[in-house]
Amino acid sequence: MKRLEDYNPTTIFLYFLAVTVVPTVFVDPALAALSLSGAAAYYILRGQGRLRDFYVYGGLLLAMALINPLFRHNGVTVLFVMGNNPITLEATIYGFVASSMILSVILWFSTFSRIMTSEKLLYLFGRVSPKLALILSMALRYIPLFSTQAKRVGDAQKVLGLYKEDNIIDDIRGGARVFGVMVSWALENGIITADSMAARGYGIGRRSSFAIYKFTRADAALLLMILTLFGAAAGVSVLLGVSFTFYPAIKPPPSLPAAAVYSAYALLSFLPAALEVWECVKWKYLLSKI
Amino acid sequence: MIVIKSAAARKVIKVLVPALLIPGVIAAGAYLFRGRHYYAVTLAVAMLSLMLFAAGFERKKTGTRRLIIVSVMVALSVAGRFIPFFKPITALTVITGVYLGGEAGFLCGSMAAVISNFYFGQGPWTPFQMFSWGLIGLFAGLLGGMLKKSRALIVMYGAVSGVLYSFVMDIWTVLWYDKGFDPALYFAALGTALPHTLLYTASNAVFLWLCARPFGEKLERVKIKYGV
Repeated sequence: MKRLEDYNPTTIFLYFLAVTVVPTVFVDPALAALSLSGAAAYYILRGQGRLRDFYVYGGLLLAMALINPLFRHNGVTVLFVMGNNPITLEATIYGFVASSMILSVILWFSTFSRIMTSEKLLYLFGRVSPKLALILSMALRYIPLFSTQAKRVGDAQKVLGLYKEDNIIDDIRGGARVFGVMVSWALENGIITADSMAARGYGIGRRSSFAIYKFTRADAALLLMILTLFGAAAGVSVLLGVSFTFYPAIKPPPSLPAAAVYSAYALLSFLPAALEVWECVKWKYLLSKI
Repeated sequence: MIVIKSAAARKVIKVLVPALLIPGVIAAGAYLFRGRHYYAVTLAVAMLSLMLFAAGFERKKTGTRRLIIVSVMVALSVAGRFIPFFKPITALTVITGVYLGGEAGFLCGSMAAVISNFYFGQGPWTPFQMFSWGLIGLFAGLLGGMLKKSRALIVMYGAVSGVLYSFVMDIWTVLWYDKGFDPALYFAALGTALPHTLLYTASNAVFLWLCARPFGEKLERVKIKYGV
């Protein structure tokens, strides 16, 4: 047992795919709630969240949820009439479900961005397309390089009295000039890099990767578990037609297959949080024995 | 993950993907979801098209210098944000497309989308951004001859593509939220994005007005000097 972030990039990637696909495809209050709570638990356990972020997320949720009943007037239960438009219970509930789903995906992916560093993504996709991976990794390296160089050029220009930052016009014109200088420099620099790479034999053999991620037995086990849970949740939903009806009236799916779908997805959703807790407990336990 | 090591397999993908998979995905989506969940289908189609493009690019022999110049353009468009009010990704994608060809334009746009999302957050929207920015670059390349000659045309193209980008991305927003396409929600989404779209369009136009010519000259110079 390891933290999710310590597994092979393939496993991590497929996990995030599986956990976000289910609630997006099958819009359902229970799935959305499970996804949101699983994502939030993981987010908090990883120590990513600050309290302020959750105010922002809460506001986002509310705003997105209330858009739907304002523009959608389907549904049989009219809560009240605003202007000439009925505001219905069904549309309001749909709004909350859809926006919790979207918010949960945002949370999942914010953790995903932290865990899947560019290095891991390059490992994952570099084998599919080595040339694109090269462009990606070169560009990633160039960004900080260009920023420092641009600052140097800008400082030099200011010292020479070529532009001030007092007014917007001058600032933009100065920025544009620095940008122009940077373009020439970057292109020439790039050509030098390319020649240097060619001289060292780039493109002759197969490309190797800096980081080595082994696909271990633990990865296989976790991946199997992820795929089984995903298959159970998605398979039962599609085959038995478990779907939550919002319009015209709320109708939950039959309870037995729905329970199977929800429990499979609950396990999937809380998997990373559970791994995180398990690791923490194990760590504390081992410490206590010293 | 799918590991495509052999060139032959990549060739097969190149034929198979457009011929079978894309119509297959659309048909399966229509059948399985009975016309709902367009967004899943559009997402799959966007990703397949990106894969198709990657396979085609991988097959070609592209010089190291050309590869590096594209990555320089990508990095410039992401790093170019240090100029106040400019978000130069669209503009630089257009310039790359016009001066280095449609393929380079597509690469520049789609790679810039991936990289800027390292800073702003990846998500299901990434493939769409890659796809729409890529297309902006691709079409700039196809219209290259015309756009190169006239300053007004290139500015217009930049402005229009900025607006279209926003329109396309909001289609995705609505599909994701609603699972179907509701024009009222779409216009609401467009409305909330309006100030952003306007700023974006104006900044594209200004950037292209100021920089298209000098930028193009620099690229042409490098192309002549080093024979890229």
